[in-house]
Amino acid sequence: MSAPPSEPPPVESLDTPIDVSVVVPVFDEEPNLPILHGEISEAMERTGLAWEVIYVDDRSQDGSRAVMLELWRGDPHVRVVAFRNRSGQTAAMAAGFDNSRGRVVITMDGDLQNDPADIPKLLERLNAGADIVAGWRAQRHDGFLLRKLPSRIANRLIGLVTGTTIHDTGCSLKAFRRQLVKNLPIYAEQHRFLPAMSAGSGARVEEIVVNHRPRRFGRSKYGLGRAMRVLFDLMTIKMISSFSQRPLQYFVAMALPFAAGTVVVLGYAASRESYYPRDRGLEQILLLAFMLSFMACAYFFLLGLLAELVVKASDLHGSEGGRRIVTANLGGGDDRDE
Amino acid sequence: MTNDPELDVAPEPEAAPVAEVDVTLVIPVETADAPIEEVVTALGGEFDRLGRSWECIAVFDGSRGPAWEAAQRLVETRPEQFRAIAFQQHFGESACLAQGFEQAHGKVIVTSPQYVQVDPREVEYLLEKIDAGADFATPWRHPRIDPLLNRIQSAAFNLLMRRIIKAPFHDLNCYLRAIRREVLEDMAIYGDMYRFLPVIARRRGFRVEEVKVRHLQEWGGAGIFGFGVYVRRFLDVLGVVFLTHFTLKPLRFFGTLGALFATIGGVLGAVFLVRWLFIEEEALYSRPLFLVGVLLFVLGVQVIGFGLVGEIIIYTQARNLREYRIEKIYEK
Repeated sequence: MSAPPSEPPPVESLDTPIDVSVVVPVFDEEPNLPILHGEISEAMERTGLAWEVIYVDDRSQDGSRAVMLELWRGDPHVRVVAFRNRSGQTAAMAAGFDNSRGRVVITMDGDLQNDPADIPKLLERLNAGADIVAGWRAQRHDGFLLRKLPSRIANRLIGLVTGTTIHDTGCSLKAFRRQLVKNLPIYAEQHRFLPAMSAGSGARVEEIVVNHRPRRFGRSKYGLGRAMRVLFDLMTIKMISSFSQRPLQYFVAMALPFAAGTVVVLGYAASRESYYPRDRGLEQILLLAFMLSFMACAYFFLLGLLAELVVKASDLHGSEGGRRIVTANLGGGDDRDE
Repeated sequence: MTNDPELDVAPEPEAAPVAEVDVTLVIPVETADAPIEEVVTALGGEFDRLGRSWECIAVFDGSRGPAWEAAQRLVETRPEQFRAIAFQQHFGESACLAQGFEQAHGKVIVTSPQYVQVDPREVEYLLEKIDAGADFATPWRHPRIDPLLNRIQSAAFNLLMRRIIKAPFHDLNCYLRAIRREVLEDMAIYGDMYRFLPVIARRRGFRVEEVKVRHLQEWGGAGIFGFGVYVRRFLDVLGVVFLTHFTLKPLRFFGTLGALFATIGGVLGAVFLVRWLFIEEEALYSRPLFLVGVLLFVLGVQVIGFGLVGEIIIYTQARNLREYRIEKIYEK
């Protein structure tokens, strides 16, 4: 058993012997694993860098664990992080990030749809100064209605909200500078939004077109029915990435439409000349509209204050581990590696 | 945050007890007339027959009397195997279990009700499931022998749970359970959670399997409970659903609820507004449904606001909430 999971891993110096860590969350990918590993080692050996691959076993029910251990025995580059219980893809990514040693962390799916041969291209862009390189499956081999269309809409929305256009949030093949992701608290499917969120805090995010292959073995583990969730996730992402240090502003922004309503109602009421009995109750409606929109404003303002209190009480302002360190590391300068 | 069924909290610095025996039997004792000697003999005999080393911890929930005296006798006759812990007052079954789990040394923990409720031989099958790779074996009394009214209530409760929580369990009210100790590590058990342990364990990604067991007897009277009991039970279910599904994403819960309210309210309001503008001559404020609609809309927006505060809270705590628990890292 490992150290208690919630304990932050020890701070390491940046000059680890490993250049690149490849993180692969695995859930029931038994037939894919040997092929995938072969492809990863081939691609990595060609780069000539010191590398490791971390397979995170999300408690697979098939023989994946045995295959991984087989790989681990046969190849010193392999590390296997085995979960005690099924925890999901984001958790597996987080575990990979937390246990990675490389200066660059690359994530990819274990289902062979990502092509490890794209890894050198990702590294090239990192060397050229990017902080995050996200894969873009320009030619997706998935169903249109259930997979491509929803993801296109979601990506457009994410772009609108975060101000960073990332064509393909759902693509797992991504490369990160390790400082960006080490000890980053990610949860609840946030791994998808990492590029958008990091861009919001100043990281240089680039995209490259990557190969996307049809599924060979196993079946897809996603489905439709996420539209609403994506919308709410977006609100969260926006709040966290731009306003986590000053939530009051976010809440006041939410109150703005209601504030505008209040002003309009007041203005209209004041500019009206007289009371007509034939108004069919316009007065009362105006009063109602005024009261409700004013209430909503006050309410959002109070919630914003509450949120400030929460952030303050959590010591997130002062903690060195919050997302702020991401921003601090990104100004360029000496802690860029390679 | 310690009251969270789904997530890790920072573990206490104290060292976890070492697994020394195969099975720890934990018995919460609620009433003074519990025949715990009978329970210990029956289940202990089974463990002996199966060749498993065992220990037993009886936790007295503020109760004393004959059961406590029996426990004293057991402590004398089996000083190695039997321990009795007594609370000074009634803390509830979850507290008893938590106390027992904390002191257990077994690799597998078997909980039992304070009387021989199901055939003791069934533990063999429960333990078999654990040996076969399950993390948690939970019983299903089938067929049941208690009064029809009880069975109907229990069936309704379990059906509701299956529907709402989408957990495939038929009998959450039988407590002869076998649990691998890893499941219980860093799980805070409080309130009425003892009832939902299989649900929570399953939600945390452990393998929970059901075993049909033979029902021998049932304590506790038949009949309708007080109204408060049903209300509390319902609130428990609600709490478990909320925490198991939405702890990390409160906005999905509040947001869905708020969007529902806001949509209904918005549609109602818009319909009456349009009618008022173009069709009707009657005053708008005299249409109650219009007022309802407007209020619902504002309520919906406010509920979404709550969700956002929830997200902020979770975000600020995210560093303490690791979603995963590592069994082992294989590395060179």
